[in-house]
Amino acid sequence: MRSRINFYIVEYAINSLLRQKYKTVFVALVLTLLIFLLSSIFFITSSIKYELHATVEALPEITVQKIKAGRHDEIDVALMDAILELHGVESAVARVWGYYYFENAGVNFTLMGIDEYEEQYKKSFVDAATKLDFTGTSMLVGEGVKRVMDANYYKEYFNFIKPDGSLKRVDIGGVFKAQTELESNDIILMSKEGVREIFDIKQSKATDIVVRVANFNEVATIASKIKLLYPDTRVITKDDLKISYQNIFDYKSGIFLALFTTALFAFFIIIYDRASGLSSEQKREIGILKAIGWRVDDVLREKFYEGFIVSLFAYLVGISLALAFVYIFHAPLLREIFSGYSQLKTSFALPFVLDVQTLALLFFLTVPLYIAAIIIPSWRSATLEADEVIR
Amino acid sequence: MIRLIDVVKKYEVNQNESVIALDNINLEIKKGEVVVLRGSSGSGKSTILSLVAALSKPTSGEVVVADERISKLPDSFASDFRRNTIGFVFQKYNLIPTLSVEENIILPLVPINLDAKEIKAKLERVLGMFHIAHKAKQLVKNLSGGEQQRVAIARANINNPQIILADEPTANLDSKLSLSFVEIVGELKAEGKTIVIATHDPLFFGLDVVDREIEISQGKIL
Repeated sequence: MRSRINFYIVEYAINSLLRQKYKTVFVALVLTLLIFLLSSIFFITSSIKYELHATVEALPEITVQKIKAGRHDEIDVALMDAILELHGVESAVARVWGYYYFENAGVNFTLMGIDEYEEQYKKSFVDAATKLDFTGTSMLVGEGVKRVMDANYYKEYFNFIKPDGSLKRVDIGGVFKAQTELESNDIILMSKEGVREIFDIKQSKATDIVVRVANFNEVATIASKIKLLYPDTRVITKDDLKISYQNIFDYKSGIFLALFTTALFAFFIIIYDRASGLSSEQKREIGILKAIGWRVDDVLREKFYEGFIVSLFAYLVGISLALAFVYIFHAPLLREIFSGYSQLKTSFALPFVLDVQTLALLFFLTVPLYIAAIIIPSWRSATLEADEVIR
Repeated sequence: MIRLIDVVKKYEVNQNESVIALDNINLEIKKGEVVVLRGSSGSGKSTILSLVAALSKPTSGEVVVADERISKLPDSFASDFRRNTIGFVFQKYNLIPTLSVEENIILPLVPINLDAKEIKAKLERVLGMFHIAHKAKQLVKNLSGGEQQRVAIARANINNPQIILADEPTANLDSKLSLSFVEIVGELKAEGKTIVIATHDPLFFGLDVVDREIEISQGKIL
């Protein structure tokens, strides 16, 4: 039984591509480059969106900050008790945290204090709390922090410089891994006592207070109640933070959109060029094939294989290169657009998010379009009388 | 075998102007006959071949070949008809220069997806018949005019068609190679094929192998 796929036509298509090898290689390279660029942009935005979503989801429902002279100031821990009295409040935790600037590396670490017996306001801290030594001499560090410390020969401990200029040595007790890289990468977790000592925060003070609300629908009401109780505070809800994060993301993705549009535009120029006509040699070849007994659909099938081979090759190579570029080499240059603040933060790796929809979108945006651009002018030639073409 | 009944063929030059290539042609060619269509350039002899091969359709009239009314055939059936019934040797050979001899010869077989063995057998038959087996792997563009013509004839015969059409077959050949073509015509005639040659080369006039000569002038049979 003969195969339904006519391999002689496939072979003819491959030979036809090889006969014009310079043109084929050039078109395949340009297509690959464009698909690589488009897919890299998609992969980075998907990863950052995922990271952003996970980060926002991990945030507390309400954060209460003390504002003094228009700036964020330390808040009284005592406020926490009054907040807990409000109906609908599930829990309130006074957070002690801050940014520690490590001058040698030129990066900021985020120092977070946690207590052994306190309810952890982040899921990722629950596990960390079981590993951490709460004597104040040990800490868990994010992977990015570990890399920076290793590079600066702080392999087992780190010396924090306190506000009075004295040093506090803290041992590295392990590596902390949260759900998202953005969340955990620059973090140092230690006991609240340790953080208080490093930043010189008194026992009665905290950086802010985070509040959990049992019923999500009551968040806005409780936030307004807190604001009424303490007019000198800034009450930030998770929705406010989501909007703020989304604004940053939208701004950054605008730059990506410009890149994306440019790549897409270049792709359509190629498509237009291919669709706008055939060379006289190509027309003649189609005429010859028809004259010796090829049907229009045989010619179109051959052209389909030509287009399919080139575009599928470009698609697979472009996607593979983009995967390697984004997830193995961490998208040098392109990633900086999104993580523009990374000069002051430790660098993070983009989480691997393989979005099948994105891959399908890229496939349908490139492969069928290219094949159509090959087939349409061939169809125009093939439907002419063969006599007209070869005369 | 071949019948043209009241055939008119016009070519549109532009929207308002057309040229009459064939003007009410009636012609009958019997099976196994070797017919030469003679006439000057532009007389309409190539147009007759084109209509018989279903490469174009008449403006009016009927073309019947091997009991098929090919003037009414849809495009895909016309292709099948050409592949199975007609072997066409074009004036400029119409080979694909960047393919090898054997690749050019088997081109008509490509769409029908035959077994490799069958293709090989057909190829070997024509390579031997037209003495080009030793050139099988060479690119056509590297062959001489005579060799290219043999490849074109081999390709026209790969499906063992009943009818061979040749358009100015000796136009690009010297006298020696032209005689060689006449020999091939004799061989094909001996196989019982119907052969129609459109030419203005005097070599074909009065040849024993030719059964009939038909003079064409300004789209009419004289």
